Amino acid sequence: MGALNLRKRDHGPAVEAAPEIGQYLTFQLGGETFAIGILVIKEILEYVPLTVVPLLPGFVRGVMNLRGAVVPVLDLSLRFARDKTVVAHRTCIVIIEVSYNEQPHYLGVLVDTVHEVLAIPDSEIEPPPQFGSKVRADFLDGMAKVEDHFVMLLNVDKVLSEDEMALLTDMKPDAAAAPEMQLETE
Amino acid sequence: MTLDMELALQTFFEESNDLLGEMEQILLEVEAETTTPEQLNALFRAMHTIKGSAGLFALDDVVRFTHQVENALDRLRDGSLRLDEDLAGLLLRCHDHVKSLLDALAAKDTLPIAAGLPLLAELSARLDAVAPGHGDGAAGPTVASDAAAPASGQTASSWLLSLRFGPDLLRNGMDPASFIRYLHTMGRVVAIAPVTATLPAGADFNPETNYLRLELVFEGTVDAGALWDAFEFVREDSRIHICPLAEAPAQLAGLLAEAEPGEAEALLAAWLRLGLSPQAAHAPEPAAAPVTAVHDAVKTAAPPEARQPRPPESKFIKVEAGKLDKLINLIGELVIAGAAANLMARRADQTPLVEATLTISNLIEQIRAGTLSMRMIQIGEIFNRFPRVVRDVSHELGKDIQLTISGADTELDKSMVDKLGDPLMHIVRNAIDHGIEDSAQRRAAGKPDEGTIWLNAYHESGSVVIEVADDGAGLRRERILAKAIERNLVAADAALSDQDIFKLIFEPGFSTAEHVTNLSGRGVGMDVVRKSIEQLRGSVEIDSEPQLGSTFRIRLPLTLAIIDGFLVQNGDATFVVPLEAVIECIELPPAQRQDNGHDCLNLRGEILPLLHLSTFFELGAAPGKRQNVVVVRFGDSKAGLVVDELLGEYQTVIKPLGSLFRHLKAISGSTILGTGEVALILDIPSLIHYATRKESERYSLESEWGKRSRSGG
Repeated sequence: MGALNLRKRDHGPAVEAAPEIGQYLTFQLGGETFAIGILVIKEILEYVPLTVVPLLPGFVRGVMNLRGAVVPVLDLSLRFARDKTVVAHRTCIVIIEVSYNEQPHYLGVLVDTVHEVLAIPDSEIEPPPQFGSKVRADFLDGMAKVEDHFVMLLNVDKVLSEDEMALLTDMKPDAAAAPEMQLETE
Repeated sequence: MTLDMELALQTFFEESNDLLGEMEQILLEVEAETTTPEQLNALFRAMHTIKGSAGLFALDDVVRFTHQVENALDRLRDGSLRLDEDLAGLLLRCHDHVKSLLDALAAKDTLPIAAGLPLLAELSARLDAVAPGHGDGAAGPTVASDAAAPASGQTASSWLLSLRFGPDLLRNGMDPASFIRYLHTMGRVVAIAPVTATLPAGADFNPETNYLRLELVFEGTVDAGALWDAFEFVREDSRIHICPLAEAPAQLAGLLAEAEPGEAEALLAAWLRLGLSPQAAHAPEPAAAPVTAVHDAVKTAAPPEARQPRPPESKFIKVEAGKLDKLINLIGELVIAGAAANLMARRADQTPLVEATLTISNLIEQIRAGTLSMRMIQIGEIFNRFPRVVRDVSHELGKDIQLTISGADTELDKSMVDKLGDPLMHIVRNAIDHGIEDSAQRRAAGKPDEGTIWLNAYHESGSVVIEVADDGAGLRRERILAKAIERNLVAADAALSDQDIFKLIFEPGFSTAEHVTNLSGRGVGMDVVRKSIEQLRGSVEIDSEPQLGSTFRIRLPLTLAIIDGFLVQNGDATFVVPLEAVIECIELPPAQRQDNGHDCLNLRGEILPLLHLSTFFELGAAPGKRQNVVVVRFGDSKAGLVVDELLGEYQTVIKPLGSLFRHLKAISGSTILGTGEVALILDIPSLIHYATRKESERYSLESEWGKRSRSGG
């Protein structure tokens, strides 16, 4: 991973404002490339069969056993209101640490493929477009120019906001009562 | 403040709180009967220890206040003051003030000193009333104890204090200066001469070692005992010598003999500066001290009788809660590992190995039970707060109420005990405020003037039940119903059982009180109570009879981290049913096998509603060839869960599912099976409740659909 060598070193006050460079893990989801800052990523695992938890919105694919801890795994594609991720041989689970109520929680996200860790300087990051990207604007921190295409930087705190997701799980039982709504989430 | 000081201060706060708790308990008890000397001594000791410790931390405001209280307690101790209800009330208020001072210190807030001034005034008025002429706030008069000591009586007396602090004084966290400050609160240090003869020069000097010796002349209206007590904490390592000034010259020779080598000259010089000279000037003798260095043999003033022996070795150990939690987690992992080992032994079909793993599992079970019981504390700890509450509130309202506590030794998990305090407080306050009528009404109803409130706790089939009962007027059914209708909480013609009506009081903002007191009546308490109890996964029931009284019953699950469960399989999914809910398992008769989600079974004459888990959870798997029914109980009713396979009993660790799932109904947690898979634990009451709701919605929806399809086609 050559990108790691680019980490900025503190050489004292003589250094001019060096460009802030962040490290991001890029991955594939439904044909598009996304990225998440690596500081919140705990580990990356191969796909393991999940225990389905009933009566939850579709984007909660289930839970898995991570060395004795029960970690929920989410399908980001469904969270972005797109199609359900199909499990293939390159499917991975990325374990992310989120802070909730000042406690660290771990959540897993299902991705199609994991690419490399890239060092992206802040100067290459543009604010997300108000519309036109296929993902909710508030889920994105920005769009990064990498070579000649754009990578969408995810705002992990919003995407994996426990409050929002918990609200959605609360709503599901009512959704279940009306059969027509059920079709949508599945 | 350095970290060590912080820790020491923490300990001071904890111990002081314990002492204050003791003090409060005694003060509440003594109202009822005559007081014993032990109780008075304990009261004195509590205040004295707090004062002493506060002095060590230079918390002068605390010292000043507790000093006055201590004076009063001392007079109580020796009989010159009598403990009547007023004084007890005053002392309780002083206790509260000390508590508030300590709380403010702990929170690093400004101290509420002003609040203490009226209390101090009352205290000195009390003290004056008994011994006129000594109204001085700083050094209250102390009467001599009845020991055979040449006590100084009620006049100011002068003392020589020869303080040879031990070398470890500073290491033990004491500061000579703080003792001097403390002496200042008792009187006046007339003159002081330090002796530093033992101070080594140059590199031998160790900044953490104490080389200081102090000779001082002190004047105050104290007796020897009080002076001795000031040095209680250093008596072990240091040589303290206290004698009345008049007798000092005779003592000096002996002191000289005891002195460290090289110190004698400096000592003599110091005494000369203080205006003393030994009666017979001895040449400084080498350190061949004739008598053993135990200061008890040398001092002239016998310590007053009132100094208590050290309290007996406590049979409790304070353990940091985090350590216990870690241990419990490890035990949990051990249970899982043990189950996995057992599973593999069985698969390998090796009998000796299976037996060995079973033995291990047995031992693990015992360790588990023991460890979990460490987190259990007796509910008496929260019950103990209530005598004070009942006393205060009933006095405030002018009612006469007695509190009876039973089952205080019922144990529950520590985390639950913490969260129960407030809900119980609300319920008890309501009972006093609204439940029990005032004396006139009670007399009119033929009840004894004194109302009674009962606090009771007991275990019942996997739950802890806590009851708050009163013999008051009972809940007014009609008033509650009327209020509820007025607020549109129920329809005017709804047919509600008594229980339903009583449960209405838990609605937010609900109150039938005609007057709002500062305790209750605003309708804020009960819905918070219900929410807190639901957060503990408990429930509240209310029983009430008009004129006879009401009983609030809180039922809480004994949620331990490990449950005994029953594994069931449904297609690919494995679920755990809490074993305490399982009554029996039967095979589903082939005739009953339908999967439309609602049917019943005739269970030996009883109607058993069936719930097909796979349909209900929309698991999508086709039902197996044979299906079984697990008959479960919830409250007083039964239901049958239709599953594919029964996998047997399984003891397992509950892994919480996390806040993401907090709204999830019917699942209370998850666990990891021996195979490493995750299985979900069913919450039976919630499951049934949810299923019932879905049923009723389904019926209303179906009628809707029916109409639409008829009209729309």
